[in-house]
Amino acid sequence: MKPSSQSNKTMIELATFHVGDALCGMDILKVQEINKIMEMTIVPQSPDYVQGILNLRGQIVTIIDLGKKLGLGQTDLGSDPRNIIVNAPGEYVGLLVNKLSDVVAAEPDKIEPAPANMSGIQGSFFTGVYKTENKLIGVLDIKEVLRMDTENINRV
Amino acid sequence: MTFEDDEILQGFIEESLEHLADIENDLLAIEEGGADIDVDLVNKVFRAAHSIKGGAGFMGLTAIQDLAHAAENVLGLIRSEKLVPTPEIVNILLMSSDQLQQLIEDVGNSNKADISPNVDALNIIYEQGEAPKTAAAESSPAVEEQSQEEVPITQEHVEEEIADAPIGAVSDETVFKEEEPAKPEPNVEAEVIPSTVVQPACNKAQSKTATKTDTSIRVTVSLLDQLMNLAGELVLSRNQLLQTITSGDVRSAETVGQRIDLVTSELQEAIMLTRMQPIGNVFNKFPRVVRDLSGKLNKQIDLTIVGKDVELDKTIIEAINDPLTHLVRNSVDHGIESPQERLSKGKDARGLIVLKAYHAAGQVVIEISDDGKGIDGDVLAETAIKKGLVTQEQTNVMSEKERINLILLPGFSTAEKVTDVSGRGVGMDVVKTNLDQLGGSIEIESDVGKGSTISIKLPLTLAIIPCQIIMTGGERYAIPQVNLEELLRIPASKIAERIEKVGNAEVVRLRGNLLPLIRMSDVFDIERTYFDPVKEVTVTDRRKNLADRRTGRSLAEHAHDIEKNTSEDDSNDLKEKRTTDRRQGPASALNIVVVSTGAMKYGLIVDRLHDSEEIVIKPLGRHLQQCKGYAGATIMGDGRIALILDVNSIASMAGLTSLEGSERARQLSEANKEAITKSKDRQALLTFSSSPQENFGVPLNQVERVEKIKSTDVEDVGGRRVMQYRGGSLPLISIDEVAMVQPLDVQDNYLVIVFHLAGKDIGLLATGPIDAVEISSDIDDVTLKQTGIMGSAIIDGNTTMLIDIFEIVQTINPQWFEDITLEDRFGTEIEAPTILIVEDSNFFRNQVKGYLEEAGFNVLEGEDGVEGWHIIEEQHDEITLVVTDIEMPNMDGFELTEKIKQHPEYSVLPVIALTTLAAQEDVERGEAVGVNEYHIKLDKERLMESVHKYAQPKKATH
Repeated sequence: MKPSSQSNKTMIELATFHVGDALCGMDILKVQEINKIMEMTIVPQSPDYVQGILNLRGQIVTIIDLGKKLGLGQTDLGSDPRNIIVNAPGEYVGLLVNKLSDVVAAEPDKIEPAPANMSGIQGSFFTGVYKTENKLIGVLDIKEVLRMDTENINRV
Repeated sequence: MTFEDDEILQGFIEESLEHLADIENDLLAIEEGGADIDVDLVNKVFRAAHSIKGGAGFMGLTAIQDLAHAAENVLGLIRSEKLVPTPEIVNILLMSSDQLQQLIEDVGNSNKADISPNVDALNIIYEQGEAPKTAAAESSPAVEEQSQEEVPITQEHVEEEIADAPIGAVSDETVFKEEEPAKPEPNVEAEVIPSTVVQPACNKAQSKTATKTDTSIRVTVSLLDQLMNLAGELVLSRNQLLQTITSGDVRSAETVGQRIDLVTSELQEAIMLTRMQPIGNVFNKFPRVVRDLSGKLNKQIDLTIVGKDVELDKTIIEAINDPLTHLVRNSVDHGIESPQERLSKGKDARGLIVLKAYHAAGQVVIEISDDGKGIDGDVLAETAIKKGLVTQEQTNVMSEKERINLILLPGFSTAEKVTDVSGRGVGMDVVKTNLDQLGGSIEIESDVGKGSTISIKLPLTLAIIPCQIIMTGGERYAIPQVNLEELLRIPASKIAERIEKVGNAEVVRLRGNLLPLIRMSDVFDIERTYFDPVKEVTVTDRRKNLADRRTGRSLAEHAHDIEKNTSEDDSNDLKEKRTTDRRQGPASALNIVVVSTGAMKYGLIVDRLHDSEEIVIKPLGRHLQQCKGYAGATIMGDGRIALILDVNSIASMAGLTSLEGSERARQLSEANKEAITKSKDRQALLTFSSSPQENFGVPLNQVERVEKIKSTDVEDVGGRRVMQYRGGSLPLISIDEVAMVQPLDVQDNYLVIVFHLAGKDIGLLATGPIDAVEISSDIDDVTLKQTGIMGSAIIDGNTTMLIDIFEIVQTINPQWFEDITLEDRFGTEIEAPTILIVEDSNFFRNQVKGYLEEAGFNVLEGEDGVEGWHIIEEQHDEITLVVTDIEMPNMDGFELTEKIKQHPEYSVLPVIALTTLAAQEDVERGEAVGVNEYHIKLDKERLMESVHKYAQPKKATH
């Protein structure tokens, strides 16, 4: 948290993580918690981007494989995967990511419009990109990510 | 106006609504009583009106006050028996109470409301003692008030008021009557409702008042105390737990755990109780509904309500209101006929609708039955075809029940004419959908012309439901107990026999019926697996068909399968048996959950059956809403999630509808009808052993009794084995003395099977295990036949030899039977009589033929009644006796006997009937058609006795 009220207004903090080759970020205030519970129950017939459901202290949380959802293929569970639990309307949804990265403070003014494609991810999933000295962070549009993809139902 | 104290106002509203909720039924009871005025009841209504009036006056709610006052006046007249409550008067009172309710629900605007129509009408009644001819109330039915008083008014006060009324008018219309004893029913209602009811206003009212806050619930103080107590207990237990954790004492942790377990479940129950409400809350509005509707439709209908105090979860109570109303209206509108129609059918002019609630198997059942015209399945089928909901072919194969259940299909409305009562396009399918959402089910039974009964099954509560836990593909799933019919496990050896395939669908034979099967893994596209109980692992399954385990596959296919297995198997040993072993092993057994969804029943094949558990339903996330087949999810004891299956949608996912299922089942049963008829002719056997390797059987009906003895009880006397039995010596024999079988196993204990032959008892030594089984008459009388063994049959996978006890005894003790050989009776020079045997089973025919030929008779054979009849027609001169089976194709034994006995020439022929089981009714029927004697199959001795009795040589008779 930024101590000064002025920077609170102007700076946002981005929780960043790796999805495939891309470094993505989201407003840390939208993150409920981050965990590494991988004991999921598979839901047959679910959309293929749904990894499963897990029990988060009595709540049923749907886990979305962010890699699959963004079109990059299945997230590698071998590395150090984490569930980023975000608060969606009426429920919690978990985003399964490869690996966590730093929390980056960003000036909202400096977030630029997203390109049409970033590291193989469609631009529509991003609200913009943020450039730091050596990294390019795609800022995710959580609403878009959580949008239902009705055409994408897995029928195996 | 302003209300200084909201709480007082709120209190007034709640209290008034409670009063009003009761008034309706009380008024109806008053109407029913007519001139027999129940003073207590009227008093109650009067007091209610009075208290509303009083409260309203205090609050400055003049409109409510005036209306309540007017109603109170009229009630006062009725109470003092100066006015007979005619339907017209009660009608106005009812409408007044309706308006009062509206006014009270919207108190802020109540003073602006126009109450004059009802007040005027009431005043006219009050002044003239009769309902106004132009019922003002009818014109504005929704706007009337009626109030009720709490403080009992003194008799003088009422009489004072009445004295004001014109005497003439009163004397015309009112009748003075003796007070009748109070009717119990209304009083019961009055007591039951206020104790638990919380929000007495009915749904209609709720929808109209937007300002109303979230519903509240009233809980008895004792229940609250109990909750407090339990909460205290829970806190104590928590403290103990925390202490235990700090000290690390494992043993006391167990105790604390148990304690918390107890307290939690008690707390859960208590909290559940707070949500429970009597179903009377819903039922109570129906007397009015039925009264109003029947009046409108010119029908006479009585409504009986049973089980008002059955309690259900508040949410369910609220949700069943609409479906129930629909069903009751349907019964009134479509079910009960008009009085004329009823009279012409010989029924009472008054129809009866019974509304009944009761507990059954952890559920609440609500039944709505009427004695009306019932539902005609054929008419429904016709309509459904016309509307294109089903095809002609489908309806042809439907049972009556299935046809009636067509009414639940979406887009079905039975009313030929759309009335404003029901049949407004909102069909029964809506009712069904509503009930489905509640986890309930609906069943319709109907008897055309006699009435119909609709049963609704509802869970007690929605929050926690008992479920059967099953496992498929390594994941657990829960199936609500509501849908569960039974659990079925088919051992590997029976699969080929009980699972059949029709087209692509598999069915299982269950108590003579065929049940469609759905493989859960196929429906959900899960890899097929099976559970190996020995290794306790879930393994991938490669079979295509269930019945593949044993038969029905070409060799090439089989070889291919083995090849595949071995190549996939990492180990190099080419154990071909491996596959076969598993096919017959315990892992191959099929676990089937038989579930039902209203009219349809099917079997769901799963990998494993677990326990039944009480689970808490949690909704699935948005992303999973579109997945069919789930009703939600639950968290299991180990913290993992199990999905709850929705058996209804699984059926539709599998493409299984009730119609298709039944059609398939019908085709199959047709195809197997012959087999079923055949198997009807069954033989009860007692099976036993004599040595470890061999199994024996003997017809159960020949056995006198079975004794258990110690080997020391057997005495070897004079070269014979005997034992003491009922004060005498019982000769003991064993099978190996006669037949070429393994010698009797030496054991400490023996079984002695006692037979009664030729007037003497004889015991057969045997060893366990003994069992009584029923087999079809598929007995092989060639392969293993030898002296003492009449044939063999396969029982539970073992070859079982059937012993011929008669032959065994005869071989050992030929002197027992000497007195009844034929030569002695007829002499060799006389031509032996000819006997006709009519029997469809080869085995029995040959057996009986053997007995008879052995005794020197000539034998003719017929395979069924028709053939037997032909033989009689051709050779009746020779035949002296007919021995016939009862169960036969084409013409059974009864029919044959009847034909013989009715024929002028053949009627002298004696007929002996043979049967496997001589039921009393069969015996009677046999006697009725002229059977001379009845015998149990394979009871050689008695059969031969009667044969000798009836079969006199022809020459001797001529």
